[in-house]
Amino acid sequence: MSLLELDGVDKSYGDEAVLHDVGFAMDRGDVEVIVGPSGSGKSTLLRCVNRLTEIDDGAIYLDGEEVHSLDENALRRRVGMVFQSFNLFAHRTARGNITLGLTEVLDLSRAEARSRADDYLARVGLAEQADSYPAELSGGQQQRVGIARALAMDPELLLFDEPTSALDPELIGDVLAVMRDLADEGMTMLCVTHEMGFARSAASTLTFLDGGQVVERGPPEQLFEKPSHDRTRSFLGELTDLNR
Amino acid sequence: MGSVVAQAGDWAFVAANWETLLLGTVVTVLLTATSLSLGFLAGFPAGTVEVYGSGWVREVVGTVGVVLRGTPIVVLIVLFYFGLPIPDLGTLPLVEIRMDTFVAATLALGLRSGAYQSQVFRGAIESIDEGQMEAARSVGLSSRQAIRHVVFPQAIRRSIPGFQNEFTIVLKDTSVAFAIGLAELLTRAENLYLQPGRDTAIMEVILVISAIYFVLTFATNRTLDYLGEIYAIPGGEG
Repeated sequence: MSLLELDGVDKSYGDEAVLHDVGFAMDRGDVEVIVGPSGSGKSTLLRCVNRLTEIDDGAIYLDGEEVHSLDENALRRRVGMVFQSFNLFAHRTARGNITLGLTEVLDLSRAEARSRADDYLARVGLAEQADSYPAELSGGQQQRVGIARALAMDPELLLFDEPTSALDPELIGDVLAVMRDLADEGMTMLCVTHEMGFARSAASTLTFLDGGQVVERGPPEQLFEKPSHDRTRSFLGELTDLNR
Repeated sequence: MGSVVAQAGDWAFVAANWETLLLGTVVTVLLTATSLSLGFLAGFPAGTVEVYGSGWVREVVGTVGVVLRGTPIVVLIVLFYFGLPIPDLGTLPLVEIRMDTFVAATLALGLRSGAYQSQVFRGAIESIDEGQMEAARSVGLSSRQAIRHVVFPQAIRRSIPGFQNEFTIVLKDTSVAFAIGLAELLTRAENLYLQPGRDTAIMEVILVISAIYFVLTFATNRTLDYLGEIYAIPGGEG
């Protein structure tokens, strides 16, 4: 059974259709990368999966269960999210950002939460920064805390919403390295990103979204080398040029 | 009158009555404390309701706030004193004030302050980036948990400057309790210079209590500045 399945998902804001009849499925361990021009509905798609946004029609299944039938907090415990603008809790240290969910949602003791938080900080290379506040960290460090925060909840699926788009070019590498490690370890990831290098090397499947619809979907080498749509070719071509 | 000797005598008169002014100061500080506390207890939930509430509760809270902010404080205090069925509660020993006047003044100043404090908190809560709430919800926190653990701790820090303002306003406005005869600093000051033959001391008495009001507001504001620094988020803008 697929870990995540979208079936005929529609979403509009007022008269504007943002997603139209979007459907795909991914298995445990898959790394799905979604690309598309701005306004194509990529972020909305991610937000529908953990129900930060509710869909209008269609269905989304997590491990066979319709996400609407689940308690939204229970759903979000199983689906982590990493944001473009990091969204670290500004008043809490790097460690405190991670422990909040552990103590309040998973009911871990303070000591357990602390040690688990430190483990995950070490895993993203930030053991030394546990006591730093977000404003004292670089963007790349903040985003790695954001990843550790999501990861520490032990989710079945991780959503990445343009995790490197707000970073200075020299800081992107560290974040991508962490994401590559996760992919290698078998984490199931649904990523919206413009990082073509990452898409090419780490993605198991690449989806090109345009105008709220899936234009083309397949293994990354297929979309890069011999796309069946002109729109895919021109979009990926532009992005790849930009990335050079 | 107006001679140097007479003025020196007026300062001596003020000095001789330091106890009266001290008691007045104590009452002023007490009234400020009770009013600000009531204002916080009413204003914090009211500001929260104005942001997160819905339906008639929010309507009622919003309307009450508009009415309280739109009425002069002297009118409010007289209205509460004569309009509310406050029983005769006797006299508070030591500072010798009538309790019913103190209660009326606390209600008027406190609820009015609550109406303003609600706006301080509402603004502070609304200034917290939406992403903070989304991140908290994405970890699986309920909206109640997210508000409590993520939004409030940041909003309270941001409301310190507005609260300082409010503190200064309430402290100075306690003087309007004069209108219902509560023996706070201004009322007691007046009682001094209204004594037979002491009208020469008006300036001296008023200057001294002005200084007392100033010292109180200045000292407290500095203390709140200091607290703001201690609790500021490291590296953050506050």
